[in-house]
Amino acid sequence: MWTTVLVSGITLGSFYTLVALGFALIFGVTHTFNLAYGELLVLAGYVAYWLWKTYGISLLLTFPAAIIVTLAVCLILQRLFSRLREPMEMNSLVVSFGLAILLQNGMLFFFSGDYRMIRVPLLNQGFRFHGLYLSYGQFTLLALSLLVIALTYLLMRHTYLGKGLRATIQDKESAALAGINVSGMGILAFAIGAVLIGLAGPLFGCIHYLYPTAGLQATLIAITITIFAGVGRIRSLILGGWILGFAESSAVVLLGASWRELMSALMLITLLALRPHGILGREEK
Amino acid sequence: MTKGQPTSEPLHKPPTGQLALLPGLAILLVLPLLAGGSDYVLQVFTHALLLATLALAWNILAVSGSISLGHAAFFGVGAYTSGLLSLELGVSSWATIPMAGLSAVAVAVLMWLFCHRLRGAYFALATLAFVEIPRVLTDNWDGLTRGSRGLVGLPGLPGFPLGAHHFDLGASPTGSYYFVLGYGLLLLALVTLIFRSNLGLALQAIREEETAADALGIQVQRYRLLALLLSALFSGITGGCYAHLVRYIEPGMVYGLHFSAIPLIFAICGGRFTIIGPALAALVLYPLDQFLFHPLLPAGHEFLYGVVIILTILFLPSGLWGQLRKGHLVSIKTGSIE
Repeated sequence: MWTTVLVSGITLGSFYTLVALGFALIFGVTHTFNLAYGELLVLAGYVAYWLWKTYGISLLLTFPAAIIVTLAVCLILQRLFSRLREPMEMNSLVVSFGLAILLQNGMLFFFSGDYRMIRVPLLNQGFRFHGLYLSYGQFTLLALSLLVIALTYLLMRHTYLGKGLRATIQDKESAALAGINVSGMGILAFAIGAVLIGLAGPLFGCIHYLYPTAGLQATLIAITITIFAGVGRIRSLILGGWILGFAESSAVVLLGASWRELMSALMLITLLALRPHGILGREEK
Repeated sequence: MTKGQPTSEPLHKPPTGQLALLPGLAILLVLPLLAGGSDYVLQVFTHALLLATLALAWNILAVSGSISLGHAAFFGVGAYTSGLLSLELGVSSWATIPMAGLSAVAVAVLMWLFCHRLRGAYFALATLAFVEIPRVLTDNWDGLTRGSRGLVGLPGLPGFPLGAHHFDLGASPTGSYYFVLGYGLLLLALVTLIFRSNLGLALQAIREEETAADALGIQVQRYRLLALLLSALFSGITGGCYAHLVRYIEPGMVYGLHFSAIPLIFAICGGRFTIIGPALAALVLYPLDQFLFHPLLPAGHEFLYGVVIILTILFLPSGLWGQLRKGHLVSIKTGSIE
């Protein structure tokens, strides 16, 4: 039983890492807490669902459409956030709370409050690998998540742009002094974040019901993993994702499916209680 | 305004200008007559008044500088405590509603244990996550809370005997309206007292400059705890009233994002550095939503609240009433939410 828990924990956890990746990047570069992050994810899921259901478009082809939509929304968000005054973290929190309400109601209007899920019959079949049962859905989720995480890692570590992003995350002022276009990096962070959301959203729609208020859970998951890892540390993000995924899988097995949602909240509260000065690690006055 | 300069004026200022509110109060007092027998209008304003009390309660904590994204925890626990006590044990709602407040205080103590070292955005995030605990517990503890089915057929608001008559306030929309109006005015008076007392001054000092307040001998943590407990107490009482007013509650509803967002939106739009601003915003925005936007957009009408909060933060950081009463009120250090 525990191998099943471990496998589903790692599958789920890798997906959660993918979910958290965009949040961590946007937060690290721009210091904005985007509480509407989960709503964007659900929006991307709805776009994929709608294309898949109405036009019968294959799931793989819905990713570009979802990315285009999230890219448009994220660039608008970036304009909005860049107009905020200090303290960025608090102001962005309240504004994005408003955005979350706006998006939830928009989705309620366009997609109604019904629970929806993208069901691809093939993904429910499975195969055995060394006595371990894995459904194609789980395998796809795991493989796609790890692939995207790896690509992001390469981008951050081995390209000039990634260097600029990392420098901005580490120290905005010094980065600006070194000639890095810090506000440009902010736009870039939102754009990369949008692509990551656009990739994660349709996958979210395959493993989780879509409904207008489903985003809060995803937001909590993203924040929890980001706070666990600290910004700019992709490997710690993976570890955080796996721990959360494992905790949720264990909760499902030991307590029942409805207790799963408690895990991210408990992990977040515990992390904050232990690290009251937050992710950036600096002592605030 | 530059830092270090004494930017704050206490709320002791004479209440000129607040006289403008008297006609509004008069309208509220005779509203059942004006409503012309329309139960719907009365119900909307009863609800608006109840949300106003939630916003007032939320602001007791906010005045100390802590923004909460999780007041649904207090509201929901209050609603469930009052509902279960009256449903399972048949206790009169005169007793269950105060118990609702006390249960919310117990939740606040638990929240304090986890969150007392947190400030600003991190405090807000912790409160957002904290709501999940009572929500999931209520949802799953079927034996005690009846789980996701919710509580149906709750008794109405309490009545009282007066001479030979028995006034059953829950029986008519008018009775419920006056009950909530009475509670609202009582809470407003209490909040005014709190904000103008030394406690209120200490809380504002903590918000403006915690280190300086500490240096002046204000016991920062004790006052922050007191603000949280008072805020939770009244949020819980409001939750208890809600349970008996609506007479049906379920976990997704009372612990939903709605009841965490609503007090924050009303308080910030109305002016969270003012006493009455949060209540005014509730009395304007909620009827606006119900009378204008709900008929136009049955699904998704609450987008109004999202738009309003974004516009407020961008263009009117001290809130509507705060802007109107500038100079009479505690001014804001940075001109933004903190």
